[in-house]
Amino acid sequence: MSTVRLASITKHFGTTVAVHEFDLEVADGEFVTLLGPSGCGKTTTLRMIAGLVEPTGGRVWFDDQDVTFLPPRARNIGFVFQTPALFPHLSVAENVGFGLSVKGARKAAIASRVEEMLAMVDLTGYGARTPSQLSGGQQQRVALARVLATDPRVLLFDEPLSALDKNLRESLKFAIRELQRRTGKTSIYVTHDQSEAFAISDRIVVMNGGRVEQIGSQTEIYLRPRTGFVAEFIGANNALPGTVVALEPVSGTSGQSGEHRFRIRSGELTLSCRSRLPVALGDAVVAYLRPEDLAVVDDDGAEYRNVVEGEVERVIFEGPTAQLRIRVAGREMRVDVGGSRRLTLTEGDRRVRLGFDDLNVVPADTASADGGSGGSGGSGGDGSAEPVSA
Amino acid sequence: MRSSPALPASPLPAGSRPPAAARRPRLSSRRLWDALSHAYIWAVLVVFILPFLALVGFSFTTRPGEAGVVTNYGYVLDTFGDNLLWSLKISGLTLLINTLVSLPAAYAIVRHSFPGKRLLFSVLTLPLYVPGAVIGISLVLTYNFTYHLTTSMWGLVLAMALGTFPLMLTPVVVALKDLPVIFEEASACLGATRWQTYRRIVLPLIGPGVSAGLLLCFIIVFNEYLVTLFVHPPGLTTAPLRVFNQIRTAGLAPTTAALAVTMQLISLAAVLLFFRLFGARHLKGTYLL
Amino acid sequence: MTGQTRSIAPLRPAPLAVLGRGDAARRLRTLALLLPAILLALLFLYYPLVFIVQMSFTEGSSFLSPGGPIATLANYALIGGRYLPNLLVTLQLALLATIVDLIFGFPFAYIFVRKVRYRTPVRALMVFPMFGALYIAFGMRFILLPGGPATPVLQALGIASTDALFSLPSVVFAMSIFTFPFMVLNIGTALGNVDPTLEEAAACLGARPWQTFRRIVLPLTRAGTVAGALTVFGWSIGTFAEPLLLGSANEQRALAWTVYQRGVVQTDYGLSTAMGVVLLGVAFVVTYLSLRYSRGALVE
Repeated sequence: MSTVRLASITKHFGTTVAVHEFDLEVADGEFVTLLGPSGCGKTTTLRMIAGLVEPTGGRVWFDDQDVTFLPPRARNIGFVFQTPALFPHLSVAENVGFGLSVKGARKAAIASRVEEMLAMVDLTGYGARTPSQLSGGQQQRVALARVLATDPRVLLFDEPLSALDKNLRESLKFAIRELQRRTGKTSIYVTHDQSEAFAISDRIVVMNGGRVEQIGSQTEIYLRPRTGFVAEFIGANNALPGTVVALEPVSGTSGQSGEHRFRIRSGELTLSCRSRLPVALGDAVVAYLRPEDLAVVDDDGAEYRNVVEGEVERVIFEGPTAQLRIRVAGREMRVDVGGSRRLTLTEGDRRVRLGFDDLNVVPADTASADGGSGGSGGSGGDGSAEPVSA
Repeated sequence: MRSSPALPASPLPAGSRPPAAARRPRLSSRRLWDALSHAYIWAVLVVFILPFLALVGFSFTTRPGEAGVVTNYGYVLDTFGDNLLWSLKISGLTLLINTLVSLPAAYAIVRHSFPGKRLLFSVLTLPLYVPGAVIGISLVLTYNFTYHLTTSMWGLVLAMALGTFPLMLTPVVVALKDLPVIFEEASACLGATRWQTYRRIVLPLIGPGVSAGLLLCFIIVFNEYLVTLFVHPPGLTTAPLRVFNQIRTAGLAPTTAALAVTMQLISLAAVLLFFRLFGARHLKGTYLL
Repeated sequence: MTGQTRSIAPLRPAPLAVLGRGDAARRLRTLALLLPAILLALLFLYYPLVFIVQMSFTEGSSFLSPGGPIATLANYALIGGRYLPNLLVTLQLALLATIVDLIFGFPFAYIFVRKVRYRTPVRALMVFPMFGALYIAFGMRFILLPGGPATPVLQALGIASTDALFSLPSVVFAMSIFTFPFMVLNIGTALGNVDPTLEEAAACLGARPWQTFRRIVLPLTRAGTVAGALTVFGWSIGTFAEPLLLGSANEQRALAWTVYQRGVVQTDYGLSTAMGVVLLGVAFVVTYLSLRYSRGALVE
C-alpha cells in the first residue's frame, strides 16, 4: 500500500523517444489506468515502474523510497502480464506460493497463504493442477493469486485481458477491480481498450507518442478533452476546425467557474463555444461535438446555443440508436439519435435542424494529423462505422 | 482391350513392403515408386548397421585355442576394463567442464546484449570446423612446450572439452531462445534473485535442451580416438584408442570386436534413453536431426 | 496550450542516467558469463593454432626443442613436392566421399522428408555412423576379409576379395557412411522448407516428375545441399581411420595420418605443423563457403 510518484520519467531507445518526461502521482489505493494506442509508451512506462526497464531519466518513488534503480525483486510489486506466464513445470499451488518460497517462508505458512489466495480468486481446490490443465481465464486468475500472495505494495497490470475472448474480458475486468478494492492496493493498469479503462479506473491517463495527453476522470476526459487526440481517441466526435472571432465577457453565471465563452468561425458556420483555457482573437482551434450531443429539433431551437441546418445523407440503423450522416454547410457530421427519431428520418431529408450547446475546443496544434474524425479510437468504443471527416 | 479403372493408391502399412506375389498384376507406377522408396531407405539403413552387425557376429566367434563366446566379453571387462573406465571418466569430466562453460555462455549470448554477438558465436563454435588432426597436433605441441600438460589427464579432458563444447552450446542456446523471457520477468517481479530464477525456473525449463547437449557430447567423447591419439598421456588409453591400437598391432581379433560392440551398445543405450525421456525434437539443429 | 498534466515539482532534480550504475554491473556480468568459454577457446584452440602456424615455418625440431629460429618455407615446399600425393589423396578421398553422399543422400533425404512416417526407428539407426568412423572401418574390414562374410558375394560379382579390401572404393565407402547423416540433415532441412504443394502444383501444370525435380526441388534446396556437401568435405579431409584400416599404401598417405606420423612419431614438428596448416586452410575455405550458403544464423 504505497503511493507511486513518477518525476519526469523518460525513456530513449537509441534516438527514439518512447516516453517523454512523464509526471504522475498515484494516491494510496488508487486505480489509475494508462490508456492509449499501441506504441504510445504506456507499457514502457509500466515496466519502468516495475524495474524491468531502466529509465533514461527521471525518478520513480514508492512512498518516500526512491526505487528508480532498484531491481524488480526488491520493489515488492505485483506484475500481471498479458499472458498468464504461469511456470509450466510447477503446479498451481507452487506457482501461487513462488514469491513466498523464494523469500524463504516456511512451508506451512506458504500453504495456508496459497489456500487463502486461491479462495480469493474462486479457484479453491485447483492447487494440485498444472497450468496446462486450466483455461485461459483460470490461468489469468491464478496469475492474480500469485501476485497477491506476496502482499505487494503496488499492483501493475500490462493489458492482462487482451489475450482473452470478449465474454471473459467482461467478467474478469470487474473481478480485477473487485480484488483491488478489497485489498486496497495501489494499482496501475495499462490498456488500449477504452471501455475497459472507463469501467474500472479511478483516473485515466491518456497517452500518445510517448507523451501524456490528459489525466483525469472518465467524465473529464470524455466531456472536456484537452487535446485533439483525446477528443478523437475517446469515443466518437465531430471535429470542426475554426478560428476565434469574438470573445464574450466573462460572467459569473456562465457555466463552471473559470470557463468563458467565445465564438468561432468554422467554414460557413459561426459557433458558440466555451473553454477553461485562455483564448485570444484569431486563435486557431478545433471544436468538438459528440454525436449524442446533437439534437434534432422541430422548432426554432431557441433553447440551444447553436442551431444548424443540414441534409440527411445516410441513416445507419443500429438497433437502439441510429447514426445519421448529415451534411451541414458542406461538412459531414455524425449525429446519433434514439427513440422514434431513428425511424422518422430518412436519407434525402433536407432542412433538418440540429441544436447543440456550447462546444468544447482544443488548440488546433493538438488535433491529430488526419484532420478530425468521428470514429472511435481503440477497441471497445461504440463500435461504430467509418469516421466522419470535418 | 479393356482397361481397368484407375485404383486409388492404398497407403502402404508403415515400414512394410507387400510381398510381390500378393500384388495385383497391374501395378500402378505410384505404388511401385513408394515401394522402391521405402526399400531404398531400409537398404541404406541396413548398410549403416552392417558394420556393427558384422562386429557383433565377429565378437561371438572364437579363435582356435580360445575358450568361448562369453569369455570374449569377459575379456573385455578384464583386460579392457581399465580402458572402459578411463573412457567413462574422461567423458564425465568433459561433460562437467562443458556444462560449466557453456551454460553461462549460452545465457549471456541469448539474454544479454553486447556488440559482436555473431562474431563471438562463430569464434566459439569454430572448433567444430577444425579437422581433428589439426586440433591434435596443435594441442600436443602446445602441451609439450608451453602448458606442460603432456602427462596429465586434464590435457586430454580439456582437449575433448574444446572439441565438443560447441555441440553443447548450440542446443542450450536454442532452448534458451525458445524460453519466453516473460517467465524470468515474472519470477523477478515475484521477488526471486537472479540465481533463484535461473535455478528454479530457467534450468528446469531448458533441461531437455541441456540434456541434448550432454548426450551429443557424451557420444562424441566416449567414442573419440583421433585427437585422443595425439594428446593422451602415456599410460592412459581410452577404449576407442585401445581398439585402434589393437587393430594396428594385433590385427582383427574377436575380443577387440567385443570391445567395439560394447562401446556402441553403451552409446546406443544413451541415445535411446534420451529419446525415451525427451523425444527427438530437442536435437534439432544438431546432426542427430 | 498543450494538454496539461498535473505538474509536480520533483523533490530533487532528475538527472539523465545515461551510464548509470546499472550499465557497468551488467557489462561485468556479461563478461563473467562468457569468460570460461572464451578462455577455453583462446587457450586451447586459438593459441595452439597460432603456435603451429608459427612452428610450420621452422626446421630442425625435436621432442625437446621447437626448432630453429630461422623462418623457412621448406616445410611447405616439401608439401608441394614430396608430400603432394598425400595432399592430393586426401582431397580426392574427401571429394569422392562427398559425391557418394550427394548421390545417395539426396534421395534418402527426399524420401525421408516426404514419405516416411516411422521416423524414430530411422533416427535410431542413423545414429550408428555417428559413433565414429573407427567402428565402421573396423566392421568393414572384417566384412571384406578374404574368407570373410563378403567373399562369396564378391566372388559372385567377379571381384577378388583382396582387391576389395585394401582399395580406394572401400575407403570412400566407409567415409561416406560416416558422413551420410550430415548430408541427410542438411538436405533434409532444406527440403523440409520446401512446400510440398509446390511440387503438386507443378504436377498439375503438367510437369513430369523429373522436370519438377530439376526445376522446382533442386533450385530450392540448393543452399542446403551445398552446405551439406561442404560440411561433409570439411569433415572428410581430417579423417584417418578409414584410409588406415581399409586403404592400400596410396590411401594411407592421407594427410591426417601423415601429420601424426611425422609429428608425434618422428617429431618433425615443422613439417607436421605445416601439413596441419594446409589442412586447416582447406577446412577454412570450405567452411567459409558453406556458411555463406547456409541461412538461418542462430544468433542475431
